[in-house]
Amino acid sequence: MNFAKMKEMRPYLEQPPAMPVGTPGKTGYVRLGFELDSGGRSVMRDWERRAPLIVQQELYFDERMPGMPCVYILSSGGPNVDGDRYEQHFIVRRDAYAHLSTGAATKLAEMRYNYSGLTQLFELEENAYLEYLPEPTIPCRHTRLAADTQIRIASSATLFYSEIYMSGRKYFGSGERFAYDILSVCTRAERPDGEPLFREKFVVRPEAQWPDTLGAMNGYDVFANVIVLTPPRHAEALYARTPAFIDPDRDVAAGVTRLPSECGLLLKVLGRETEPVKRAVREFCSAVRLEVKGCPLFDEFPWR
Amino acid sequence: MREDAAQLMRLLEFTDSAFPVGTFSFSNGLETAAETGLVHDASTLEAYVWDIARQAAFTDGITALHAQRSYLAGDYSGILEADRQTLLCKMNDEVRLMSRRMGRKLAELAGRIRRDAMMEMWLSDIVSGLTPGTYPVGQGILFAACGIGERPLFASHQYGVMNMVLSAALRCVRVSHYDTQRILFELSERTEELFGQVREAGFEDMQTFVPQADILASMHEKGTKRLFMN
Repeated sequence: MNFAKMKEMRPYLEQPPAMPVGTPGKTGYVRLGFELDSGGRSVMRDWERRAPLIVQQELYFDERMPGMPCVYILSSGGPNVDGDRYEQHFIVRRDAYAHLSTGAATKLAEMRYNYSGLTQLFELEENAYLEYLPEPTIPCRHTRLAADTQIRIASSATLFYSEIYMSGRKYFGSGERFAYDILSVCTRAERPDGEPLFREKFVVRPEAQWPDTLGAMNGYDVFANVIVLTPPRHAEALYARTPAFIDPDRDVAAGVTRLPSECGLLLKVLGRETEPVKRAVREFCSAVRLEVKGCPLFDEFPWR
Repeated sequence: MREDAAQLMRLLEFTDSAFPVGTFSFSNGLETAAETGLVHDASTLEAYVWDIARQAAFTDGITALHAQRSYLAGDYSGILEADRQTLLCKMNDEVRLMSRRMGRKLAELAGRIRRDAMMEMWLSDIVSGLTPGTYPVGQGILFAACGIGERPLFASHQYGVMNMVLSAALRCVRVSHYDTQRILFELSERTEELFGQVREAGFEDMQTFVPQADILASMHEKGTKRLFMN
């Protein structure tokens, strides 16, 4: 993805003097491919990675679903810094399944010259199943993120894809709420034959358009965007079971809607703090796994 | 592009809430915003209307302008592409339904008041299911066919969105006609700036960020007591 072509990123195209874009250590890459082995177990067959992204072996710790490979993507470089580029490519082949997450929140450090870019490609073949449930992204003061996610999914496959964005380090110093420069996030999906399914883009530039308005963040600090691409029979069952609500006691609100092209659902969650939002996203993921795979998501580790 | 009284009359006619495309059936989530107390007076209503108008500018506003330019270039495939892009970026079921229902109504109505080959082709493709038939694309075609320019099209589109929410507000928020007209008058001041932001925008620039309004639309869609569709 050439982020430099995006109008909203034009003010941020200077080379960082310390380490220019493309310097080794600033271009993280991960390519993971999952498929069924001869015994019918889902395994991580492809495994390519380049620092600062690290992926160790897949783990089979889920007692309710012992054949589910669970993989944690780590970053050895600390936060994303000025001019970093990351690329993630996940492939889940026919009938295979996997659970992906990150080891910790993704911190976006202050940037002065350039931006941090993330390009992702998800490819799911017939009847494949993938959960992508990373920890939240925390944008610090004057940071910039451009993210482009492309999904290519067969009609019988299911993808649970979540993102959680915080307003910033709200308890740091006198608080950093929406002190970042820009978040530009685009997600597109298509069938393997190229038929487009939907495209969602949001660009938040607090200085140009304050996002804490009644129709946008409305006083909340955490925003989760969850895309579930799944066959219509699963989507309709999940839609019927998923409530839409504003809960003033827990300071959390959520709503679900049907995506275009009858390709699945979109859940949005807002919250004052991270924990209730993460819980709502996990509960939805659990509902998806129960609907599609017949068992709920494993309990969250107490240290996360 | 020439401008005369007839054109201004047509601009008023197509923008008037009496133009029968069914805008009265929708509130853009305002009904739930009022029920939950988020919108409860003139000031909260103004904030809500602006959020809805702004996100409409960066979605339907862009595709309406593209459809208009495609018509003027004689590029029917560009009209179909604008139609497809409008729908791909609409995340809510009832909003998609609203746009398609109003788009088809507009095409049918346009055929009764002024015959135009491209509009007829578009309506025929809507009927046969070849294209979704969204409202902003219909506006783009109609305005182009009548020789009305880009800025009036965008203003008409924005007026329609704001007026839809404000008219609904008279029935579900404690505001008066004085309030709604003042809000419309004041928000109109910001329309030129919005036009400047979207006039050069491509489909890749279409964007929306109104998560609270999205949640309200979802609550509305799942609700049981409703005056309006979404």
